[in-house]
Amino acid sequence: VRCQHYPPLRALQASAVLRRVSDEHKKEPLTSSSQQHFDSHPADHQPEQEPQGPRPSYTGQGGQESEDYESEEQLQHRILTAALEFVPEHGWTAEAIAEGAKTLGLSVAAAGMFHSDGSELILHFVSECNTKLSELLEKEQKLVQLGEAEKKPIDEFLRDAVETRLRMLIPYIEKWPQALSVLLLPRNIPSSLSLLTSMIDDIWHYAGDQSTDFNWYTRRAVLTGIYNTTELVMMQDSSPDFEDTWRFLENRVADAMNMSNTASQVQSTGEAVVQGLMGAAVTVSNAETSRAMR
Amino acid sequence: VRLCRCRCRALLSRSAGVLRALRGLAAGPEMHFGFQTVTEAERREKIYQVFESVAKKYDVMNDSMTLGIHRVWKDILMHKMNPSPGTLLLDVAGGTGDVAFRFINYVRSVRERQLQRKLKHHQNLSWQEIFDSYQKDKFNSLGDSQVVVCDINREMLKVGKQKAQHLGYCEGLSWVLGNAEELPFDDDKFDVYTIAFGIRNVTRIDLALQEAYRVLKPGGRFLCLEFSHVSNPLLSRLYDLYSFQVIPVLGEVIAGDWKSYQYLVESIRRFPPQEELKAMIEDAGFFRVDYENLNFGIVAIHSGFKL
Repeated sequence: VRCQHYPPLRALQASAVLRRVSDEHKKEPLTSSSQQHFDSHPADHQPEQEPQGPRPSYTGQGGQESEDYESEEQLQHRILTAALEFVPEHGWTAEAIAEGAKTLGLSVAAAGMFHSDGSELILHFVSECNTKLSELLEKEQKLVQLGEAEKKPIDEFLRDAVETRLRMLIPYIEKWPQALSVLLLPRNIPSSLSLLTSMIDDIWHYAGDQSTDFNWYTRRAVLTGIYNTTELVMMQDSSPDFEDTWRFLENRVADAMNMSNTASQVQSTGEAVVQGLMGAAVTVSNAETSRAMR
Repeated sequence: VRLCRCRCRALLSRSAGVLRALRGLAAGPEMHFGFQTVTEAERREKIYQVFESVAKKYDVMNDSMTLGIHRVWKDILMHKMNPSPGTLLLDVAGGTGDVAFRFINYVRSVRERQLQRKLKHHQNLSWQEIFDSYQKDKFNSLGDSQVVVCDINREMLKVGKQKAQHLGYCEGLSWVLGNAEELPFDDDKFDVYTIAFGIRNVTRIDLALQEAYRVLKPGGRFLCLEFSHVSNPLLSRLYDLYSFQVIPVLGEVIAGDWKSYQYLVESIRRFPPQEELKAMIEDAGFFRVDYENLNFGIVAIHSGFKL
C-alpha cells in the first residue's frame, strides 16, 4: 500500500475536484446556477462539464467555511464505487475505472491513478461486500437481542452468512473468475488474505464464538475452507438461482458439524478404552496377587 | 579540457554581462543557457535557433545519441499513460511527433481489442445486426481519440508534418504552433498533457506547469519525460564522460552542429533533479505527483493528476 502524501497546506489550496466533505451529507439537488462562493478555480465551468463541482452551501455567505476537502483516498473510493457498475461489461480492468471516472465528471485519465490490472477495484469491491455483510449480521444480532427474532442454530447461521456473502457476487459472476486470479497475484495476496480472514472472523464473532483455545484456529480454518470451496463451486454452477451451490454449502456445513461431533466422540471413546484397559490391568494384577497369596 | 572550457566560457559570459549592464539593455533576469548565463529573452532566442538548426536531423541524432533507447523510453511513457479510446492528448514540445504517433498506434490497438470483445458478446445477434455494427465501428478506428501536437518551433512542426504524411498518419492528429508558457487553448480541455524532452528548454518552467494545470480537465493527467539526475556515482561518471566527450562530436559529424549538442548536454546538467521537479509540479496544483526513474535516473517520468 503506497503511503499517501498529505501536505498540510494542500487542503486549503484550490482543488478542481476534491469536494468538501460536508457536501456528501447534503441530499439537496445541485442547482446549476450555483453560487460559486469559494475561489476554487479561476476558470468558469460550464454546468455540464463538471456536474459535481463546487456545490452551493446553504449554511453561510461568502466562502470561509472551515470544512475540510475530501482526501484523495475518498475521491479514489468514489471513483471505484462508480466503476463497479461498468464491470459486467468491461471486466475488472482500467477501462471500467475510466468509465466510472467519466460518470463522476472526471477525465478518463484519472484511471491512471490505479493499477492497470484492476487490483484496487477488486479489493475495493471485496472490502465493500465484507462491510455490508458485517452490517447485516449486526442488524440480525440486534434483532435477536431485542427478542424480535429467534437465535439460529450454529449450522444454520453459518449457512445463511456464507450464502448472503456469496449472493453479493451474483451481479459480477461472469467476470469473477478473472477477479479471483488477480487476487492471487503475489502483490495482492497480503491484502486479499487479510480481507478474507477478517470476514471469516466477523462471521464467527456474530455466530457467538468466544473460544480462547485452539478451537479458535480450527473453526476459522474450517469456515475458510467451506467458503472458498463454495465460491469455486458457484463459479461453474448453472442451476437456477444457484441451487446446487447452496446444497453443496449445506452439505459442507453439516460435514463440519459432524466432524466436530465425531472428534468429541473419538475423544470420549478413547478415554473409555483407556479406562477399560486400566481396569483390566488392575483386575489382572489383583487376581495374580490373590493367587500368589493362596 | 572540459573544466578549462567551462571556466573560459564563464569568464566570457561575465564580461559580456558587464558590458550588457553598461549598455543598459534590461532584457530580463539572468538565466542559464547550458553553462552560459543569459537573459530570459536571449535564452528563448538561442533555444529557438538551436532547434531550428537541428530540426531536420533531430530524429537521426536522437537515435545515435541514445543508441535507439529513446524509443523504449517513449514506449514506456505510452504504457504508463495507458490511454483508452476517446482520450484527448496534448503533446507539448512534441515537434517531430514521436509521442503523438505512438499514442495513435496504442489507441488503435486498444480499440481493435475492444471491438473484438464486443463482437464475441454478440454471438446471438442476427447477421444484419452484426453487419450494422461493423459499419458503425469501421469508421471509428480511433474511438474518437485525438492528439494535438504543440510546438514553439516552426521547423520542428514542419518536420513532424512531413513525417506524419510519410508514415501515413492522417486522422486524429492536429499541429499547432504555440508556446508552452502561454498555450493557445481553453481551460479544461485535455485528458492528458505530455511533454517529452521539452520542459528542459522552457524558460519559465513554473509558467509551463501552470498552463498545463489550466488546460487539463479535472481528473486529467500530467506526464513529463525528461533527462534527470543520476545518483549512482560510477554510472554518473561514465554518463558524464559519454555526454561531454561523445555527444558533441556526434553532433558535429552527423548534424554539422557542435554548439547545439553542447547546449543539449549542458542543459541536462542544469535541469533540476527529480525531487525538485516533483516539488515544482506539486506547487502548480497537481496531486499524486510521482516519478519513475528509467535507466538509473538518466531519464525520469514525472506524473501528476489535476484533482
